Amino acid sequence: MTTDLAPPRLEETPLGPKAGGFYRRQNFFTGLASGVLLAFFGWLVSHAVLQSSAWGSDMVVTVTMVTWVIGFNIGVGSFNAPFRWLRGHDQSHEDELYMAGVGQGSKRYWKFCTDHKVVGTQYLVLVLVLFGVGGTLAMMIRTQLISAHSTFLSPETYNSVVSIHGIDMIAATIIMVTGPFTNFIMPIMIGAKDMAFPRLNALSFWVVVSAVPCLLATFFLGGVNAGWTTYAPLSVQGPPAMDAFAVCIITFAISVTLSGVNIVVTAFTMRAKGMTMGRLPIFVWGSVASVGLGLYAMPAFLLSMAFVITDRAVGTSFYVAAGGGSGWLYENVFWIMGHPEVYVILLAPIAALFEVACTFARKPLFGYKVLVGAFVAICALSILVWAHHMFTTGWAPDLGGPFMVTTELISIPTGVVFLCIVGTLWKGSIWTRLPMYFLYLFLFNFIIGGVTGIYLSDVPADDYFHGDMFVTAHFHYTLLGGAMIAATAALCYWWPKITGRMLNERIGKTAFWMIAIGFQITYIAMFWEGFEGMPRRVAYYSSIFLSSNRMATGGAYLLMLGWLVLLYCLLNSLRHGERAPANPWHAKTLEWMVPTPVPLENFLVEPVITSDFYGWGEPAQPAERPEHEPELVPSLSARPTEVGGGAE
Amino acid sequence: MPDSTGQADQPKETKELSTSEEPSGSRWGAFGFLLTLVVALVVFVGVGFFFWSQTYKSPVGTEVAQNVGMATVNGVTMPHVTLYFNTYPDSAGSVNGVAIHPGGNPTWPAYGPTNEFQVPAHALVTVYVRQYDSGGSLNDPWFATVRGTVGGVEIVNGKAVRSLNPNDIAHTFTLRGAPGVDPNFFVNVPLPLAVTNNNEDYGPYCESAQYLAESSSVRQGNPCYNTVEFSFVSGSKGVYAWNCEYPCGTSVVGFGGPMSTFGYMSGFLHVV
Amino acid sequence: MSSEDLVGETESPPPIHKPFFSRPGGKIFIIWLCMTAVGVVIGVFVPKQIMPNMLSTEGHTATVTIVLFTVLAAPVAALVYAVGLYSLLAWRHRGPRDEPPPDGPPVRGNGPLTVVWLVVSTLLCLVLLVWGLAQFTAEQTPHSNELQVDVTGQQWLWTFSYPGTGVNSRTLVLPVDRPVQFNVTSEDVTHGFWVPNLGVQIDANPGEITVVRATPDKVGSFVVRCSQLCGLYHAFMWTSGAVVTSANFSQWLESQGASPATAKQVAFVTP
Repeated sequence: MTTDLAPPRLEETPLGPKAGGFYRRQNFFTGLASGVLLAFFGWLVSHAVLQSSAWGSDMVVTVTMVTWVIGFNIGVGSFNAPFRWLRGHDQSHEDELYMAGVGQGSKRYWKFCTDHKVVGTQYLVLVLVLFGVGGTLAMMIRTQLISAHSTFLSPETYNSVVSIHGIDMIAATIIMVTGPFTNFIMPIMIGAKDMAFPRLNALSFWVVVSAVPCLLATFFLGGVNAGWTTYAPLSVQGPPAMDAFAVCIITFAISVTLSGVNIVVTAFTMRAKGMTMGRLPIFVWGSVASVGLGLYAMPAFLLSMAFVITDRAVGTSFYVAAGGGSGWLYENVFWIMGHPEVYVILLAPIAALFEVACTFARKPLFGYKVLVGAFVAICALSILVWAHHMFTTGWAPDLGGPFMVTTELISIPTGVVFLCIVGTLWKGSIWTRLPMYFLYLFLFNFIIGGVTGIYLSDVPADDYFHGDMFVTAHFHYTLLGGAMIAATAALCYWWPKITGRMLNERIGKTAFWMIAIGFQITYIAMFWEGFEGMPRRVAYYSSIFLSSNRMATGGAYLLMLGWLVLLYCLLNSLRHGERAPANPWHAKTLEWMVPTPVPLENFLVEPVITSDFYGWGEPAQPAERPEHEPELVPSLSARPTEVGGGAE
Repeated sequence: MPDSTGQADQPKETKELSTSEEPSGSRWGAFGFLLTLVVALVVFVGVGFFFWSQTYKSPVGTEVAQNVGMATVNGVTMPHVTLYFNTYPDSAGSVNGVAIHPGGNPTWPAYGPTNEFQVPAHALVTVYVRQYDSGGSLNDPWFATVRGTVGGVEIVNGKAVRSLNPNDIAHTFTLRGAPGVDPNFFVNVPLPLAVTNNNEDYGPYCESAQYLAESSSVRQGNPCYNTVEFSFVSGSKGVYAWNCEYPCGTSVVGFGGPMSTFGYMSGFLHVV
Repeated sequence: MSSEDLVGETESPPPIHKPFFSRPGGKIFIIWLCMTAVGVVIGVFVPKQIMPNMLSTEGHTATVTIVLFTVLAAPVAALVYAVGLYSLLAWRHRGPRDEPPPDGPPVRGNGPLTVVWLVVSTLLCLVLLVWGLAQFTAEQTPHSNELQVDVTGQQWLWTFSYPGTGVNSRTLVLPVDRPVQFNVTSEDVTHGFWVPNLGVQIDANPGEITVVRATPDKVGSFVVRCSQLCGLYHAFMWTSGAVVTSANFSQWLESQGASPATAKQVAFVTP
């Protein structure tokens, strides 16, 4: 049970089980019920009003999905506070404590809870569920591709499996570090009590949860047959599942935008005294860069999908050539999102990996300022490279040269990232615990992923490789082998703080080796397929690609087994894991200075920062006294404690 | 561990270190591990079954071509087999007690009663089609020409033709090998429309001899049809995919809906 | 040693010069050299083994680029791998796992190293850019007397027409040593016109005509595939093609319905 911040006894407050009305009974299940109810109502009304029109089916699906999203969020309590404000009431202090989960035990994980630690844990579960869905779909794909002409899946079922696998994994990797770890760890890391907008935090979580059934509904509405990129006009031609997909994306974009605003404002305004920008742990910089870039990119995604819906349901011609539109419009708007989006995926896990590197090499971060500059440069350049995904579209051939230049330039700040990791490891005391294993795997994989991207940035080589399995292997090396492995390192690193349990390292290392070896087998085979000339997104292939596909499928089964062992490791740790001390890694950042489990408002006394958190190997400095006594937190009388770097 | 010389008489440290010095942290539960694997397997198999069952499989199964003897084509003697299928304006209902496309969308046209065929390799295949559907103009008039058949012709209502008017097409039967299978094999046969879209008096669009032989009172209310017969020499062993190239579907250029759902306007030919 | 040496001497001890190869830098250099060698060998031999037969200058450019990039990537990857490997061999803390090792040296950065790293990566980048831009510009330049081929992609078949001959074929036949300009369009959705053996790829877009050029320089057969997901039968949207001599090309045109005079005229234009 959480040690709450000196609250009154539960029975003495209006927080007891009988207190409060309907608002306090709301949770995930009331959300489900309300969402289904409102969606049914929306379906009935739109069906009655629109079915006679030629576009009846698309509009009906769209309205049903939108009413589901709104209904679910009403039911789970996302809009309670605004509703009350509309009625002229505000929330009482007890209401706010209740919203923060006080007195509810584990039930608070099923509810709209403003405590950033709860939201972070909820995101962690969601991410694991999303990876489970995406991983299952991946097994379907690799099983189909075991033979050149398999009778397992029909062509459009395979296309829909591939499409949903792609978008599910993209969504999961976008939120896999900024959802769980930035939410849980970052406020503590900067010395804050919570995020800048706790209610917005919880809202962003439940909004993304409501997007998931829209995605799964596509399998029952004819399937999305246009890939995760859903190029128009093919997506305009597709079955009504495409409307559900578009609503899912729009909802997801809204959630990511809300969450991004929250994280950026928190990092800039909620830092404790003495936490200057130059003392911020690199994880905060990486998270801010990631979500900041997302704030730029996600509206483009939303826009591209909104016009797919109007082209389908209302008869506009943004993307349909016969009406004067162009598929190139879709491709441009999409990739204006699509390229920054991969850096949204990459930057936060890489930044988390740097925290792991410092802690497990027992050394300061090498090149802090240069690294922050590299993150900023990556963000800026990533906005300028999108058309390297369009080299073979025939759009603006004269721009091939400039986009080649900007794309190759991005390899320079990415190289700085490697310099800083290598520099941090240099002559360190390498402590080979489980998170460190994943750091080395990241190093191995991300180089291959990054280098193969260079091939694709060169137009003549891209003319050979675009649209074939080389591209698929490249982005799996960077996103799965790079970002996701870095996120796994972050998971193993912060698991003791989040759950209060240690992971069984023997199981973890078994999982690690299966993942590492399975991954290489699968994706080296996929590079082989790419060199041979096998196209992407095909349910059937020429028998010349048989050997490479068999190898890839075998590797994929081993890789999946490795992830299952890791899942078992997590579950086992929850049930039988050794209780974790507050700072099992003897690390230096602020989250390790608070007890586990973390108190409601994180700090028993408000910290004042006097140096950064990378003082490994440096002799302890005498703590500097601030010029003026900082203001005391009104309800406390203890003197502020100075927390700084230096040897522990 | 620091060197323990001089401390040899102290009791051995009873700190909870496992023999491998790993911070094991917990028990390895074989049962729990197997449970995780079993649950995962159940999920994979269940989801796999769900997707597998989404593929259209006709209750009639694969139509195996009937052997009707031997034939000689360009001086080469080979087995002669026959195949039958029809094309209908809607997938609901049945013909002679056989469902056209069970469980299908009733407003969508369909080939029936099955979309999977099997013929021997390097054989003369003669296909008989009854075409009941209406039609219109092709997106690409290229498909109005007969290609890949014996003699380059098809026999429509008893008359041999090399091509049809591209504005009077109901469906096509376009057949090519799966990737890598017999690159030189290709068949394209346009099927003429059987009734105009506003159901006028049938006129020249329903000229099959059988249909014309029926009395007008019988014809009234019975769906009219055209007969098409064509022959081709099957290629080497492998899977071949056929589909319709007339835009009888929905949405952009008419290739949505049934055109993009396997089983209505698409299927496989297995050459064994 | 006299007492004078012990008293009043304030010199620092002479610096120890360890030989290069027993310092970490030296050992890493050796590991790096071995890994680079392996990478270069892989780059020079493996792609050519598994890539298909290239039949055009653009195809050869693609292969050379791929080999060159692999060879240039080898030392870069090897550097990171060598340091990573060495860190596990030499600097791994060997002790009880649940006790943290002592801190490492408090090195927060190295200005000169960072500058060198940035400069070298920029130079590498420039080399790749210059190479890529040169090849790219060469491929964009039109030649004289190009054979025009109109490519139509539609769900789910490629057709090729040769303007002026009336030939509209399902297979793509090209004469050797003659520059070709493909004018590509689509009837419905976006398709990808991709001929791996010729190193050409361009999307077929409805309502647009996109252009890609190639010069076949070897006789042989090739495959045309669709590289942009286009719906149900995307996997089946492939066809065969061949690069043949001009004489054979003329014969083929005739067999597809061109008049003998037109066929000869189109096939035998000297560049």
